[in-house]
Amino acid sequence: MNEAPTSRGDEIGTALYVYGVVPPSTSADLFAGVEGIDSHGLVQLVAAGELAAITSSVPLDEFDEAPLERNVRDPAWLEEKVRAHDRVLEAALSGGTVLPFRFGTIYRGEEHVRKVLSARSDLAKTLARLNGTVEFGVKAFLDRAAMRVRLLAEQGLQDDSPSTGRAYMQRRQVDRQVEEEVRNLAADWAHESHLCLAAAALDGRMNQLPQPELSGDDREAVLNGAYLVRTEETEVFRRALAELEDSYADDLAFQLTGPWPPYNFAEYQEQ
Amino acid sequence: MSSTPRPLQQQVTLVELVDRVLNKGVVLTGDITLSVADVDLVYVGLRVLIASMATLEAPEAEQA
Repeated sequence: MNEAPTSRGDEIGTALYVYGVVPPSTSADLFAGVEGIDSHGLVQLVAAGELAAITSSVPLDEFDEAPLERNVRDPAWLEEKVRAHDRVLEAALSGGTVLPFRFGTIYRGEEHVRKVLSARSDLAKTLARLNGTVEFGVKAFLDRAAMRVRLLAEQGLQDDSPSTGRAYMQRRQVDRQVEEEVRNLAADWAHESHLCLAAAALDGRMNQLPQPELSGDDREAVLNGAYLVRTEETEVFRRALAELEDSYADDLAFQLTGPWPPYNFAEYQEQ
Repeated sequence: MSSTPRPLQQQVTLVELVDRVLNKGVVLTGDITLSVADVDLVYVGLRVLIASMATLEAPEAEQA
């Protein structure tokens, strides 16, 4: 199908995929040797005013609306393209700052990209805010079973099944109390953790908790946070997390990911 | 001490990655727009990725 890379554009038609924007002073060298979302399309900057879009050409037979909708349902295709999208943004981030666009932002040509950049000068302000920052993700997981055992023990009970009817009814009541206590405590802990992390960051977001069946994780998440951190203050943030890990050692397991391009802070606008 | 099975770091990163790339970032109306009809793209994304990870562990069963 794609035996002749050089003539590919002429035969099939291409569009421009946009990964995000960087300051126009950004060196194109950052993207040298970085493979874009399509292996034939070099990653290039398209500048207009105070912004430069990170782009690469993509074949319409894969990225026009109909094929795109089909392709995103193909796990292998989607994983490859999602990784490529992030890889290009990571390369941009290594230059200092990047404002990520959502996956699948595609224009017919450079002129269209320039027109959009010119119309969205607000993006330059957001980009300036994000200068020298990265994002970290923190999830906190609760060991509900262990917590239940502990709360029961505090009432002098064991996590077993009572044999008599009377004890069974009592236990049902205790169970309800324990469940409620677990829920309240977990919410408090998550909120407190978020405040601690946000205090060590420029900004923080508490995102929706992942649906357990889609999280790829058996544990119960109680916090799904994203934090915007100055690159030079990364250690401050890590220390804040280490302190949380210490204080919640028996109750929560924290998971740190990043540094990421500031995906969660791309919509940040001063009101 | 109980040891809960830890998910592979790669799997964790992939899930985090999909959530960010498909769900976050500046939303602009492009010339070509991706509209996965009535289904949240992230949901599709995560489901297919979880499915793909599951099949990685199993012997090759099906080719879509």
